Amino acid sequence: MKHFEFSNAVLDTGALHASVEHHAAGGYASFEGWVRDHNDGRSVRRLEYEAYVDLAIKEGERIVAEAITRFGVRHARCVHRVGSLELGELAVWVGVSSAHRAEAFAACRYIIDEVKHRVPIWKKEHYTNGDSGWVNCERCAQASDHTHSHQHVTHHPPHEPHAHPAGLQVPDYSRQTILASVGPEGQRKIRASRVLVVGAGGLGTPVLSLLAGAGVGTLGVVDDDTLDPSNLHRQTMYSLADCGRPKALLAAERIRALNPEVDVRAYVERAAATNLVALSAGYDVLVDCSDNFSTRFAVNDTAVQLQKTAVVASVYQYEGQIQVIRPNGACLRCLWPKATSDGTVGNCAEAGVLGPVPSVLGSLQALEVLKLILGLPSPATHSLILVDLLSLEVRRLETKQATECVGNTCQRIPQQPFISDTEPLELLARPLQLYVDEGYTLIDLRDDKERAADPLHVEHQCILAATLSAKPQQLNSNSRYLLLCSRGQRSLATTKAVRAAGISSAWSMQGGLSRAKKA
Amino acid sequence: MITVEIQYYALLREQAGKSTERIEKMAKTALELYREVQQRHGFSLAPDQLQVAINSDFSHWDVALENGQRIVFIPPVAGG
Repeated sequence: MKHFEFSNAVLDTGALHASVEHHAAGGYASFEGWVRDHNDGRSVRRLEYEAYVDLAIKEGERIVAEAITRFGVRHARCVHRVGSLELGELAVWVGVSSAHRAEAFAACRYIIDEVKHRVPIWKKEHYTNGDSGWVNCERCAQASDHTHSHQHVTHHPPHEPHAHPAGLQVPDYSRQTILASVGPEGQRKIRASRVLVVGAGGLGTPVLSLLAGAGVGTLGVVDDDTLDPSNLHRQTMYSLADCGRPKALLAAERIRALNPEVDVRAYVERAAATNLVALSAGYDVLVDCSDNFSTRFAVNDTAVQLQKTAVVASVYQYEGQIQVIRPNGACLRCLWPKATSDGTVGNCAEAGVLGPVPSVLGSLQALEVLKLILGLPSPATHSLILVDLLSLEVRRLETKQATECVGNTCQRIPQQPFISDTEPLELLARPLQLYVDEGYTLIDLRDDKERAADPLHVEHQCILAATLSAKPQQLNSNSRYLLLCSRGQRSLATTKAVRAAGISSAWSMQGGLSRAKKA
Repeated sequence: MITVEIQYYALLREQAGKSTERIEKMAKTALELYREVQQRHGFSLAPDQLQVAINSDFSHWDVALENGQRIVFIPPVAGG
């Protein structure tokens, strides 16, 4: 079963309802969007929907998968009509089944809201007076102008699916590529880079905007918070109308509008020691833009353990600190072995901050990331930079690795399982390419005969289930693995064996390859 | 008697009400100096929650101070 699809034909609600039924579900919630007879004061006769199908299905699948993960529901599905629709016809259907009703309602609401915001679908309204006009999808309206989300776009009807209705602009990096130390080669490096930004607030928003503008190929954004009006004096990427929505999703929308070439991935979850190793697997550089010590130290610990570079910054009122944590250099725990508890010193909400302060520090973080990617000159020594924005004094203090941690064996980072016991063993059966795109390493556990009969057409490794169960240590806990077999039984058993060996970033695909084919 | 210049950051600056001060003192080490100014300004952070730098280098708390040095007390910062 596909989680998100388009249909040219009238939707059969009975069949759709049946497709999400499950004996473990105690509740079902559904939303239906219908064609109504008026919009924006005009009388509507019928509608036409068009979608940029390739992109729309990918984004739709992502939204439903987010809803399933976020709310822990049993099944969720969304079908959107395309083509010509009469008044009263069903235009979009969302159905969710889950153990309890609260999650079903919440996931259903989430899916329809996000589909409306993020999926590129255009609507042509035919009015009773004979006129007609294209109406922006919300995603594109937000990309161009918030205040005219219902303006009629007559200049660029989306006859060409690749045409962006706001215009046909393509990113132009010439102002940075004319720099001798950037050039086309540097731009290729930027394009190939993958950066994970933890926190989409005062520090995170300038980091994300500047890296997206520069053309960083893959940008991940982790934030579990929703936008609050008190954020806007310093988080100017957002709008007042966005309040209440998850910042990670908002940031992803803005980044896509700023530079559609960036592959942006939003993770609406709290970054913590339990999930950061898995989240970081597909990224080269981590940028800590969080507002609390526990997350900041978790980013630090992940970087040290995975031998990745982290650019860490924080602010206080009129000043800030920035530190690039490189493999074999001093990390946060070398500097602050004791001061790890929140509440010791105030954050922005407690102590206050002037808006430009995090923008300055965030811009410095973006600069450090680009310097790393491009190999531009940096201070030869590891250092902590103190920036006082009242006196405009910058102080650079050389940092030294704690003696007990020299030689890449940090003694100060608490050893803990990075994925909790409650982490599900199985992930949903989806097209395999989606998992590849999300940075999973696929492992085919089937035997030669099965593989020959049904070969995989995406990048993968082959390890027999029995071999992997016997020797799980051949996997590396820095990567994320999706184990595959034909029905999901062997992969589940092997995942348990791998987890028991302490490698927590392995999952089984529920229902196996046979279910993925139907998905 | 020696004279040193002290620089405060973040919470310490806020609690001291100033970012720098010049002090003539008898204190022999950075730790003694911090204890002295902690009492005067009511600093809430203990020395082991801070870093101390002398001029442009991180230092140990028990290093003997010299005339004319700039002593920097640095607390960790959380905001973002």
